[in-house]
Amino acid sequence: MDASTTSGGARWLPGAPAPAEDDIVKCVACGLCLPHCPTFRLTGRETAAPRGRVAAMRAVQEGRAGVDGAFAAMMDECLACRACETACPSGVPYGRMIEAARAQVEVTRPVRVRGLRGLALGQVMSRTWAMRAMAVGLGVTQALRIDRLLPERMTAGAPRVSLPRLARRMPVRLGSGPVAAVLRGCVMDVAFRPVQEATMRAVAACGHTAVMPDGGCCGALAAHYGHPQAARRMARARIAEFEALGAEAVVVNSAGCSAHMKQWGHLLADDPAWAGRAHAMAARVRDVLELDVPSEATTTRPVAVHDACHHVNGQGIRAETRRMVAASGARPVEIPDDGRCCGAAGMYSVLQPEMSAELRLSKARAIAASGADTVACANPGCAAQIAAGLREIGADVDVRHPVELLRPRERT
Amino acid sequence: MVYIPRMTTLAPGVAAEFRAILGDDRVLDGSTERIIYARDGSIADGSCGVALLCETTAEVSACMGVAHRRGLPVVPRGSGTGLCGGAVPLDDAVVLSVARMRRVLEIDPAVPCAWVEPGVLNLDLTAAVTHLGLHYAPDPSSQAACSIGGNVATNAGGPHCLASGVTVQHVLGVEIVLPDGEVLAIGGPAPDPPGYDLRGFIVGGEGTLGVVTKACVRLTPNPPAVKTMLFDFASTRAAGTCVVDVIARGVVPAAMELMDSRMIEACEGFTGAGLPLDAAAVLLVEVDGTPADVEAQTGIAVDVARASGTRDVRIAADEAERALLWKARKSAFGAVARVAPNYYLHDCVVPRTRLVEILDAIAAIAARHDLLVMNVFHAGDGNLHPLIAFDRRDAAQVERVMAAGRDIVEACIAVGGVLTGEHGIGLEKRDYMGLSFGELDLDAQARARRAFDPAGRMNPRKVLPVTSRCGEAILDENSLPPGTWV
Repeated sequence: MDASTTSGGARWLPGAPAPAEDDIVKCVACGLCLPHCPTFRLTGRETAAPRGRVAAMRAVQEGRAGVDGAFAAMMDECLACRACETACPSGVPYGRMIEAARAQVEVTRPVRVRGLRGLALGQVMSRTWAMRAMAVGLGVTQALRIDRLLPERMTAGAPRVSLPRLARRMPVRLGSGPVAAVLRGCVMDVAFRPVQEATMRAVAACGHTAVMPDGGCCGALAAHYGHPQAARRMARARIAEFEALGAEAVVVNSAGCSAHMKQWGHLLADDPAWAGRAHAMAARVRDVLELDVPSEATTTRPVAVHDACHHVNGQGIRAETRRMVAASGARPVEIPDDGRCCGAAGMYSVLQPEMSAELRLSKARAIAASGADTVACANPGCAAQIAAGLREIGADVDVRHPVELLRPRERT
Repeated sequence: MVYIPRMTTLAPGVAAEFRAILGDDRVLDGSTERIIYARDGSIADGSCGVALLCETTAEVSACMGVAHRRGLPVVPRGSGTGLCGGAVPLDDAVVLSVARMRRVLEIDPAVPCAWVEPGVLNLDLTAAVTHLGLHYAPDPSSQAACSIGGNVATNAGGPHCLASGVTVQHVLGVEIVLPDGEVLAIGGPAPDPPGYDLRGFIVGGEGTLGVVTKACVRLTPNPPAVKTMLFDFASTRAAGTCVVDVIARGVVPAAMELMDSRMIEACEGFTGAGLPLDAAAVLLVEVDGTPADVEAQTGIAVDVARASGTRDVRIAADEAERALLWKARKSAFGAVARVAPNYYLHDCVVPRTRLVEILDAIAAIAARHDLLVMNVFHAGDGNLHPLIAFDRRDAAQVERVMAAGRDIVEACIAVGGVLTGEHGIGLEKRDYMGLSFGELDLDAQARARRAFDPAGRMNPRKVLPVTSRCGEAILDENSLPPGTWV
């Protein structure tokens, strides 16, 4: 053996969770994830593939590399769409590994950047009033078209905010029967009011009292972007709120949130006071797509179905999306691109604009090629991204959440 | 055991020369990037000097020119899914990746054939010609991820190669960049190209002759009918007998795959395909052809299975069920990770009449070395894949795995088998070559290789044994090339 062969300890940084060694060694480097990874598909670069990212984690674990700029660049480039996790025959839990790797990377960022991200993800997003204030600002710039003065790469993925809708009062209690909480959320609350209202109606039609508590963000974005402390804080707040309502179920209309909330047990596993409560509440989380909502037929036209990555990969929700579209009377149409990620991926469109733009345009073109005049899309990030892509290529396609297509009726 | 890459980076100016050809983004020489490109799908680890992402034949040729002038070793790389270390660079070699060369250049439905770039994925090629009622026949288990370039380099096989033949039967021509950068075209769609037919030499060249930058591949019409069956056996012996008897009755199924009980358990855990968890072995048999032909073949296969003592015959009712059964089979290698973090295997081929006895021998070898072995293989052509499950962090276990691997290879050779059916020789089986070939044979092969690569810079120290110590295990520590670990 070479003299250079030595044994070395793991070089993970203190002060943040790290990918677990038992998770890392599960990867046998077979490469079956490669064709399913959107960034590998675009670049053909092993360092932009799940296998390469896991190899980088392994190198840190074995003490052959540190958590440095190169490591950060690789982890940042990942969409965290988790398509690799679905494809992986070895059961590598990539989602939680990339979350931990990003928490590591976050430690290396300059204090100012880290502080700013912590502020946005942990403080602003968790406060409903702060999100609304931001939304009003965004809505005004969009109404006055000031946003067009900013570089396209910064604004392309931003949702359109409607000021009149923001001003209107939302029903926060609807229907009768056992209580089902509906997550207010952060982005959904300010930019997708019609989806929120449709969700309330759908839950009520399923024989529940739909109640939307005041609290906002579930903490998914904070967890995805390396701020697990903030994510845990928000999880505790939401859990306490849902418990106080006596909620039998928690209904969520955003893929990233429902996928994250179902993992609350894992997030709070090391917190003895909360582990049991988190586990129990996570078991009550349902994506709205999982509800079998009785509906009148509102249309018979073809509707293209976009699968959010965190539905298909995080939760195995695929048939349910089509079922809800079909319940509206529409004919579900597949988008001819093998369900590749649209490139929204949380804040990815802002942080990795080039890669995101390529994915956005190819998704928009595939939707246009499907021939449908409406695309059903059940995640706020995807909806904003796809709407932007469709505007860019000049395609006249309406973007709607599947629950918006329904006209719920009382179950008989 | 932890491997630290040697920090003998390339001479100053080399990366700059490559950057002048490819630009900054496609020359990867950071330390983490080099660690990542030091591995493929095998368990071997090497050392990469720099990785290049080429997009055109001209770029490959220019990069090969630089390597030629500088005397640098070069290792071509497709998707890096190979299992014998063929794409693992040694001694800080230049890794030349063709993963960005992924255009289907031309489809001729009349022959039918297609010219493709080497980075095109096997299954993407089939997807690109499905609308014409055609497919690319060789179908390695990694077909969703592996590239045509890698398939050509290893002369890859797959379950459906039983009836349709392996890669060499499906490559009509190639464009290859020689070690000095010269571009050569060999063969083409014409049935019998004039001059020496070098295609059979290039296919299976394992990156030791040059870099294939285009391939003209034969396309195969989709069979009008297909039927997929699953036979369930209470003993491996009964399954092995069934394989021999089906083919003896004159039926050559499109595919005939055997899985043993431990493998069934692992695959079922991943796919939930409904494999019988209490079976000792299952046979996945597929027949295709005209509807009448398929009926006749199915009848014979089921008759023979019953006579061999099958407990149950399941026939896939529709395309979805058929796809699920194949998914279970093709996920086998990755699914092993549910049992242990690593696996090691040899893809030796034995005459199918000796299948039963070799399976017994493999079980005895595993027991002797106190190891878990799982079998899943192309039973129809006797192409074994005994997967030994292990954990590379356990050094003592790794030693037993390597010893068992060697015993398995020797047992296969002893019953008239050969070293490899489809994965290639690469690094893993290099030092076993002496078990199959004498000095004269090896010398002749080395001379043929030198005709293409006189300086020995292409995928050096792969395929042919370096020293006269043939027959010594590559993974025995004493014969490990420096810079390798397992």
